[in-house]
Amino acid sequence: MKRSLFRLTDVLELCIAYIFCFFLNVLFDYVKTLDLDSYILKTFLKDFIDYQPLVVLLFTFIVIVFHYQMLHRKNTEIFCRILVGDTVFNITIRYTLDCITILIFTYFLSVLANVYLNFNLTSNIYLVLIFIAYILISARQVRKHENF
Amino acid sequence: MKIFKFFISKIFLRKAILGISMILLLCMANYITFIAARSILSTFQGYQETKCINQEGNYIANLDPDSDIDIDAIGEDGTQVVYDYLNKNFNYAFYTDGFMASIPNINDMEISLSYMNEEYYKLNQFELSQGTDLDFDYQFDKEIPVLLGKGLSKTYPVGSTIKIEESVLDRPLTLKVQGILKQNAYHSNYYAPNSKTYYNFSILVPANEKFIHHANIDLQWNGLMDVTILETTKEKIADLSDVIEDNLGAKFNFFSQKENYDYFNEYYVHSLKIIAVITLALLVIITCLAIWNVLVSVRLMLKDFTINLLVGLSYSKLRKIFYSYFGILSFINLMVIFAFTASNRYGCWLRKDATFVTYGLFSLIGMDWLALLVVAFSDVVIGIIIVENMLREIKKVPISLGVLQ
Amino acid sequence: MTKIIDLKIKEKIYKSKKSQLSILNNFNLEVNTGEKIAIVGKSGAGKSSLLNIIGLLDRNYDGEYTLFGSQTDHLLTSELAQWRNQRIGFVLQESALIDSLTIEDNIKLPFLYAGSEKESLRQEAFETVTNAIEIKHILKKKPLECSGGEKARAVFARGIIMNPQIILADEPTASLDVENRERIVNLLFRMNKEFNTTIITVTHDLEIANCHDRVIHLERSK
Repeated sequence: MKRSLFRLTDVLELCIAYIFCFFLNVLFDYVKTLDLDSYILKTFLKDFIDYQPLVVLLFTFIVIVFHYQMLHRKNTEIFCRILVGDTVFNITIRYTLDCITILIFTYFLSVLANVYLNFNLTSNIYLVLIFIAYILISARQVRKHENF
Repeated sequence: MKIFKFFISKIFLRKAILGISMILLLCMANYITFIAARSILSTFQGYQETKCINQEGNYIANLDPDSDIDIDAIGEDGTQVVYDYLNKNFNYAFYTDGFMASIPNINDMEISLSYMNEEYYKLNQFELSQGTDLDFDYQFDKEIPVLLGKGLSKTYPVGSTIKIEESVLDRPLTLKVQGILKQNAYHSNYYAPNSKTYYNFSILVPANEKFIHHANIDLQWNGLMDVTILETTKEKIADLSDVIEDNLGAKFNFFSQKENYDYFNEYYVHSLKIIAVITLALLVIITCLAIWNVLVSVRLMLKDFTINLLVGLSYSKLRKIFYSYFGILSFINLMVIFAFTASNRYGCWLRKDATFVTYGLFSLIGMDWLALLVVAFSDVVIGIIIVENMLREIKKVPISLGVLQ
Repeated sequence: MTKIIDLKIKEKIYKSKKSQLSILNNFNLEVNTGEKIAIVGKSGAGKSSLLNIIGLLDRNYDGEYTLFGSQTDHLLTSELAQWRNQRIGFVLQESALIDSLTIEDNIKLPFLYAGSEKESLRQEAFETVTNAIEIKHILKKKPLECSGGEKARAVFARGIIMNPQIILADEPTASLDVENRERIVNLLFRMNKEFNTTIITVTHDLEIANCHDRVIHLERSK
């Protein structure tokens, strides 16, 4: 039995959520570089590109939902772990490090995509900072589940 | 109603994050659908308009993009020769706009002047809300009959006159208001049919042969850009092309109806298909995310749902509750899209963007309302998918297990 | 004495990925109005499954079931829901409460689905039940703030608030101390005595089982 709260499905879910947000940002950057002939297509895409940061930020909400439901589901597990000798502090640190590891891995994948497409490597950095903020906020909620 | 209020206040709002994320996802879906629907509707509108001009035997001018022209070298002598040739050999539809004038009006807008000849006017069949059609048989040292957009009708009603310092003729003119155009009359760009300029704060000036003859190089040159030669042949057009090239040093292409349709199909239909595919793909992705979101919601709220089922809630009533809840979320999103669009439309008024200001019910024009209807329909489809998935997930778990979650 | 339950189960199958378990083979049950039935047996014998079938929570079995004189397989889900609301009361383990609602809201939950009945009559029923069960002091609390015994009484109150014809109690005293155990059992039997409510209890406690009119022993299928 691992010490981590994350099961394979949880890891995959979070990976997919991060990859989706990074991919969306890269896609916007890619579309900006396209030299489109069609005025219709240009005006259609402009309506999204003009609001790129807002659109991407709204989609990052799925990561907030992931953290929220993950901790709710693991509420009994957290309590049982504490019961058998683990501490809230250790669980919190482990949870934070697991999330950050998954984040770094998916960010690395997005960097590879940027390299392949010849984009600015730092275009997704602001997303990483946002996700770290989400992780830290959600880590504080671990304490809420220490009592069953 | 009581049961629904109970579910909203005691169950759904207790896990507000899930509701908020659903609203955001729906917002994205609605925005994408709205933008796509409006692009397609606007393009279709523009295409309908160009169909009036793009008839068999008509050839629409287009400056060759590879033509290496020296604008400074183009003079009135050259353009005059071209127009003389046109007047002698062809029937043509002449139109140009984008000339601005400062004319006092209650909205303090800069007024746009559009110039067109009789053939163009007849082809386009402008709808009037007041007054009579334009008269092209006038003396411009007397009064020139004009049509005004709706926005100017209060300041300059039918029968009134406007004195302006005409920039294309470089002389003072007296314009007589002959009629008022219908609200939101528009002109679409031939080569970007979704791009529209509205005539609400425009003056339509009839440009007969004499007018064009006396106009400056700006009007004559710009008028050539979109000139449409009517009821002619490819051979005659080739001669015209040579005349223009010889006198102005610019290569003009003239495209027939078939060539224009082929162009439209190649570029616009293709672009519209891409827009439709992108929209559909994004909607599928967002729907998948929404389904994931509701499955998460069901997981977290399963006990609450099943205890209610245990004490007398039926699945059909639960279905109604979910549809009502989803209906409220959709309504909120429709209001957001509505407010966003209304503020965009109103923004044109604030920025005094004369060619983009529109009149509409709560600031929205017909195209916007149609697009909202499409959005509402897409919400219904997404709603059915989501609610049925929720119920399927809840039914999977026996009530006796769900209550003890 | 009228027959209220007439159940004939050929078999009930539980399928898992690797195997299949058949329980309640050729099980028949007839219960008259006002009877008190205890169902006992080893774990896995099908006690809770039987209770779920009787309470119309489970219709996935091979058999026939006539309840309140009607064949249940013809019933619509809306009719089933109405019966669960008004004619059948469930008394389950104390965790079957909604944590985000107060004890009062939990107990009054069946009123939401009861249709139009005078508010005053409902309030009267609520007052009667909460007085009888002595839980007035916890009505404004949330389940997480209550003890096991208090929660068990709250679940009981919810199960009887609509004055059902049948009460189905699934291990209602499982995690309770002696005092609370007796309290719940006495309340059940009081319902039976005062209102002729049919009681069907699943229990591991033979002492409690023997207080009923009939004890049904279920055995695991071989």
